[in-house]
Amino acid sequence: MLSRIAESFFWLGRYVERAEATARLLSEHHQLLVEDRSVPEAMGCALLLDALTMPSAGVETAQDLVRVVVGSELDSSTISGAVSAARANARAVRDSLSQDTFEALNSAHLALSRGIAFTASPGVALHRVLERLLVVNGVVDWTMPRDEAYHFMVLGRELERIDMVGRLLAIRHDEMWPSSGPAAALRAAGALSPYLRTGRPLNAIDVRRFLVLDATFPRSMRSCAADAEEAVRGLQRQGVSDSGSLLREVGMLRSELEYARVPSPDDIEQFIDEARQASVRASDEVNRAFFRQHGTIVWSH
Amino acid sequence: MSVTPFDEMLLPDGRPRDGHEGMHETLAELGSSGLAERARQRDAYLDRHGITFTLGERERPLPMDLVPRLLTPPEWKHIEAGVIQRLRALEAFLADVYGPGIALKDGLIPRRLVTTSTHFHRQAWGIETPNNVRIHVSGIDLIRDESGDFRVLEDNLRNPSGVSYVLENRRTLAHVLPEIFTHHRVRAVNEYPERLLDALKAAAPPDIKVPTVVVLTPGVHNSAHYEHAFLARHMGVELVEGRDLYCRDSTVWMRTTSGPEPVHVIYRRIDDDFLDPVHLLPDSVLGIPGVVNAARAGRVTIANAIGNGVADDKAVYPYVPAFIRYYLNEEPILPNVDTFDLSDADQREWVLGRLDRMVVKPSDASGGYGLMMGPWASDEQLALTKAAVLQNSRGWIAQPVVTFSTCPTVVKEGRIAPRHVDLRPFAVNDGTNVFVLPGGLSRVALPEGSLVVNSSQGGGSKDTWVIDDGTLDEAPPESASPEPAERSLSHAVAANFSKRYNSPTSHEDRMVQQQRQQQQQSGPSPARGTDEGEPPC
Repeated sequence: MLSRIAESFFWLGRYVERAEATARLLSEHHQLLVEDRSVPEAMGCALLLDALTMPSAGVETAQDLVRVVVGSELDSSTISGAVSAARANARAVRDSLSQDTFEALNSAHLALSRGIAFTASPGVALHRVLERLLVVNGVVDWTMPRDEAYHFMVLGRELERIDMVGRLLAIRHDEMWPSSGPAAALRAAGALSPYLRTGRPLNAIDVRRFLVLDATFPRSMRSCAADAEEAVRGLQRQGVSDSGSLLREVGMLRSELEYARVPSPDDIEQFIDEARQASVRASDEVNRAFFRQHGTIVWSH
Repeated sequence: MSVTPFDEMLLPDGRPRDGHEGMHETLAELGSSGLAERARQRDAYLDRHGITFTLGERERPLPMDLVPRLLTPPEWKHIEAGVIQRLRALEAFLADVYGPGIALKDGLIPRRLVTTSTHFHRQAWGIETPNNVRIHVSGIDLIRDESGDFRVLEDNLRNPSGVSYVLENRRTLAHVLPEIFTHHRVRAVNEYPERLLDALKAAAPPDIKVPTVVVLTPGVHNSAHYEHAFLARHMGVELVEGRDLYCRDSTVWMRTTSGPEPVHVIYRRIDDDFLDPVHLLPDSVLGIPGVVNAARAGRVTIANAIGNGVADDKAVYPYVPAFIRYYLNEEPILPNVDTFDLSDADQREWVLGRLDRMVVKPSDASGGYGLMMGPWASDEQLALTKAAVLQNSRGWIAQPVVTFSTCPTVVKEGRIAPRHVDLRPFAVNDGTNVFVLPGGLSRVALPEGSLVVNSSQGGGSKDTWVIDDGTLDEAPPESASPEPAERSLSHAVAANFSKRYNSPTSHEDRMVQQQRQQQQQSGPSPARGTDEGEPPC
């Protein structure tokens, strides 16, 4: 497979996940800011923006927050930007994507570019975007052959997911909004019902353990690491392998999370930190090993 | 008879009341076109989330009005204290009725009123509840009279429903009209499922370390099924139907893929009569044969307890202030609406002399069935009512017409007009504390001048805000007496039974039919109260 094509699939997976996770997080965070006014609005906005590595200067209200995080096509850490980047990557590999996948992504992109997210009740608009992104993942799941392209896409999605769960946990909803925060954090990961079914109480430490270490919830960092590892093994089965450091990176992260002792609050923070770093290292390794091999000649001005 | 109702938001001169200024300003800025647009978004939101109740064959969303109803900290403090007090007295009364019966011997209330109550169940006599709680969940309906005073309209101590709409209304409003919250700090409502689960666990048989709690629903055909599923999901417990459970050796078991698992607390949302075909209705297909014995043996807790309906009987209601004085030695904080016991000869004579100025209602029914509003009744209706009262005086009570408060409400095309509201605060008793959920369900009669506000006829609800000024902390610790409530079976169901005997149906059909029949005095059928008290201004 062409490196360029592989790279597009990898980033398609990453950007779709980024857009979805950010939209979900923004929607829940916004609702929390509106409903629970115990934290000053500007501070509540800054918490989310810091976690997303976006500048918070001048963002005073929940409405400003939506404007900034929905953002523009030019900045791929915003929702519009991530959708737009996902679509650009999808266009590059359009021939290998099912028509449904491209259409769903395209309609999310069009909706955002028409400014639906700026209507007065952002929750309604964000939901429309989310719905379309869910369609992308759904169609990929049941139409895409489990080939090289698929494994690159899943690898990108899982690495991004680890990063996004890390950002979500960095907001510390549990400390800022002690009564409604833990539930909001779970909702932002789509995890509230699965969590409640385990019978655990809604307290800060149990919620963080769940989002990092749970074995069955697909968005826990542990599950993401396991899925990333499986994607790398899938690539190996197709004859695509790096020097071994990529598998080592995701495999070690997976085993560390899988065989962890019941961690103390400090341990948990350390796991979160390590997982995010491992995700960055793995992404760099993918890039180095498959897309920009040593010796690639790059023209620059 | 034209009395000006109290308006919740506006002073008589049209200016907003203290604390309502911010909300008033936001609404003015939006204007009717803005509100109409938000109303469309709200409908889409409710549809999409499937926040519905079932009426007849159809599922429909519970209409939520965009204008919240606001309660100030002093107002809420008063309501909270009054609800807790009333619950403690009602708990004491139930413990007495199903125990020593001291109040009956003392003549506090005529024994005949208790024993003739449709919802008095001899089968429950002598069943002791583990933490002395019978009313785990209650919903006492309040109205606000012309002078702005809160009064109790009725007690709901069986299966009060509507709490899921309290939580959903808050989320929905924050979703579609976020700016209305800008100027207010509103107390959160989302801790309710946790508090309920804690209270249910606290009610488990004492030797059980990790109790298994389940929510028992009549099934998907019941009008309040959405709420049953909501509560089970938010508490993280199983939602079961009667056929999922069975009793053996006085223990209740749940059928699971890993074999039978014991159940310790059943939060049941089916009516007393259907609970146990061994002791109650023999042809119930919704219940669990033997569960009453298991409860008597102390192996399982049924919440709310069996037989609570005797305490929310409308003919018992006039005696509740006396219960408060007798059991608690306190003066009632929330007064009743004046009510006349028509089985008392003197009161009956007085009422029949001025029937055209009274509201007459059946003592054991709900939902406005059989209600007669004197001022708007024809001579023929008056005569019929009089005959009915004379024939079965225990079956009826009478009240003067009460004008209850209005709240600005979005009507057609985003216009705002006053509509009548009531309030159902929900309280949870864990045996140590009574937690009153800040706010409750405000039900609103949407059609102008409408007297019947069942949701089938245009009733809706409002997000209800309790303002947080930092002075309201936890509810004061109280001992064991919250009140759950709801009524269920009444005339309408009894009628269906006789019908069913005539036309034999399959087991499945019976199940569907019985599931529907559980009336679940639900939130979605707003304000029985409204029917009774509201003159068309």
